[in-house]
Amino acid sequence: MTKKIIIKLSCLVTILVALNVLYKYTLFQNDLKTKSPEALAIKSQDLPDVYFFGESSNATYRDSDSIKSSITELASMFFPTIKIVPIVKPATHAGIYKSWARMIDLKKNKTKALIITLNLRSFDAAWIHSKLETQLQESMVLTQDHPPLLNRFQLSLQAFDNKTEKQREQMMLEQWKNTPLLFPFAFPFKSTADWDYAMAQGHYKKSDGTWDKEKNILACHYIKAYAFNLNDQNPRVKDFDEIVMYCAKNRINLYLNLMAENIDYADSLVGKELVFLMKQNRDFIVKRYSKRTCVVIDNLDLVRGKDFIDQNWTTEHYAYKGRMAIAKNLALNLKKQFVKEYKDAY
Amino acid sequence: MLFNSLHFLIFLPVFILLYYLVAFKYRWILIFIASCYFYMAFVPTYILILFLIIGIDFVSGIAIENSKNQKRKLFLILSLLSNILLLCFFKYFNFLNENISGILNLFGQQFHPINLDIILPIGLSFHTFQSMSYTIEVYKGHQKAERHLGYFANYVLYFPQMVAGPIERYDRLGTELKQEHKPVYQNFSDGFKLILFGLFVKMTIADNLAPYVNQIYADPLKYSPSQVFTGLILFSFQIYADFYGYSTIALGSARLMGIRLMDNFKTPYLSKSVSEFWSRWHISLSTWFRDYLYIPLGGNRGNLLRWSINILIVFMVSGLWHGASWTFVIWGALHGVNLLAERFFNKVFNFKIKETWSLLNLLLLLKTFLVTTLIWVFFRAESFSKAKDVFQALTRTTNISDISLESVLPGIMCVLLVLSDLWVYNSRIDDRLQTYKPVYRWAIYTVLIFCLFALAGTQKFAFIYFQF
Repeated sequence: MTKKIIIKLSCLVTILVALNVLYKYTLFQNDLKTKSPEALAIKSQDLPDVYFFGESSNATYRDSDSIKSSITELASMFFPTIKIVPIVKPATHAGIYKSWARMIDLKKNKTKALIITLNLRSFDAAWIHSKLETQLQESMVLTQDHPPLLNRFQLSLQAFDNKTEKQREQMMLEQWKNTPLLFPFAFPFKSTADWDYAMAQGHYKKSDGTWDKEKNILACHYIKAYAFNLNDQNPRVKDFDEIVMYCAKNRINLYLNLMAENIDYADSLVGKELVFLMKQNRDFIVKRYSKRTCVVIDNLDLVRGKDFIDQNWTTEHYAYKGRMAIAKNLALNLKKQFVKEYKDAY
Repeated sequence: MLFNSLHFLIFLPVFILLYYLVAFKYRWILIFIASCYFYMAFVPTYILILFLIIGIDFVSGIAIENSKNQKRKLFLILSLLSNILLLCFFKYFNFLNENISGILNLFGQQFHPINLDIILPIGLSFHTFQSMSYTIEVYKGHQKAERHLGYFANYVLYFPQMVAGPIERYDRLGTELKQEHKPVYQNFSDGFKLILFGLFVKMTIADNLAPYVNQIYADPLKYSPSQVFTGLILFSFQIYADFYGYSTIALGSARLMGIRLMDNFKTPYLSKSVSEFWSRWHISLSTWFRDYLYIPLGGNRGNLLRWSINILIVFMVSGLWHGASWTFVIWGALHGVNLLAERFFNKVFNFKIKETWSLLNLLLLLKTFLVTTLIWVFFRAESFSKAKDVFQALTRTTNISDISLESVLPGIMCVLLVLSDLWVYNSRIDDRLQTYKPVYRWAIYTVLIFCLFALAGTQKFAFIYFQF
């Protein structure tokens, strides 16, 4: 019986290998197009000089903007002879960029630089446990380093980090509640949840003496988005560590484009303690990743409050002036590598 | 744990390996632990409800056997009532409350229903019915009371069929679980075939039909009559593929252990009448209702009126068994009415369906499928207003939708299912495959594997019958 089973299993393995080849050259591309168009875009690019990985901050504009160009389009104006290819997906983060970076065909493409959007909020509990995470994880299944047929089957089985929205929300709340907030000075709140709760009790009053609910909600939201201490245990930090190592190993010049946050509103709504944390986290990133093969482009304080599109929410969506400021800063940093190609566009 | 999950595909081989490694006298412990683990992958605490059912029916079985006359009956009633009350509490509490409130409001009485925010334990209707069948059989004297709690627990908990059947009887599954099964090549081979085919039917066919059906039922009025009609047809195939797929995987998983479960489906959409449909669809439930409700009610003894009432009661209770909603009751009632109409027609016109294939039989088959498809609306729609919307969308002549729906792949899936049914008609996939030469068999496996791996739906849908 054992011999019979071994023979049948061998046949099965052979069939699977053959079917994997069949799938790879027939349906796989179409599945990639549906589930992971970004992966297909990375692979199908012909010799781009620079890849730009980002999320919605790259292309979101204010309706009243006369120039609606994305950050990459604006940055490209400084380098007319350089092909900068944006690979963009909303709510993406380092965990996804890590996989994208590995998809760059190092043999075919002579990629000169890789720019990766580094969004401070992507390190916070709300983004780590975002309800969009399941969708993002799903989009990565087909791109794993396994035979494509196996990846496809895993996708059907939903065999990935497939938590429900409720489970993710629970994890987010627990992180806010259980992660201590550390300050080098006396501070009354022990965690993000404590601070948020205190703020939610009613901090703002209108001129007529009633609570300014909207302002209060916004202040709470700022706390939840930025009140955390970055350390090497943060999963996104681990992801960025891997990206930096991978790029160093493969001699890809890496630029981490730290996006601007609304420091003005954080200060006016919540106070200097929150700004302290934001800047402390920025310093952590700059110190950790500024290496010979990696440049951290610090845009954190570059955009003023009114130049953020969303005035009652925390996003990295900028009006033209903001996008241009970031594109210019990006171009100035790239200039060190592409001295000859740089043109003073503005 | 879902059959269509990586978790199960790892769990099953590990379990099978241990099953044959463990000495026979300890095997029941392994099955018990594995079944608990399987069930606890859903909501762990709900295992306590199962333990309660096991405890009640185990003790009741012994008590019934040891008692005589009225006492015997009393123990049976107590056991049945406990099971039904448990089922009612978890499944029908809110439904009953809302209905009582509605009735009292009609008479001007104010009653605010208390809605319990509880999730229905998975497969509760299945294991209560299975367990109840045991005590009834002990009461009838057809079954000896089990004295080994472990074996009885395994009969209720047995993981391949615990959450969605087939609803097995103790004389069959209980006996199988007590027998020593040695590793036999044919069992592995058949088990593998059944699991492969079951996964193909569920994941490749049902899960590719589900998105279309879900879109239609989400807002039927947005779509054109032809799209809605297609949606109804696809649902007929979806629910069949979904449940048939589950049952086939269950059969295959049990077969790997050398245990034979009963067939729950026999190509139901190739039925030429409603009564034939019910002898081919969810057979274990149909026979349960026949043995424990229809016959005790009097069956076809007595006059025409009494028989008609019995049929209607059985179908309506069957509807209610599926879900705590009047839409399910209407679904059951319509099947009952349909069956009665068919019987009256046959009697009045002295019409008999011949078994041979003919054009007339093909028309009867299409009629049965169409009627069943229309009745499924009440099963799938979550409310009467949604069912009304479906029929309204189906019959209107204006407001044609310009939304396009992907229908090529679902269409191919339906054709595949029909072809497979025609192929296995009055047989079963493993038996059918056995009649072919190895080279053709392997060619079929290759096609099934490719369809399963490369074409399965990319959204996972839980088995529809899990909610019951």
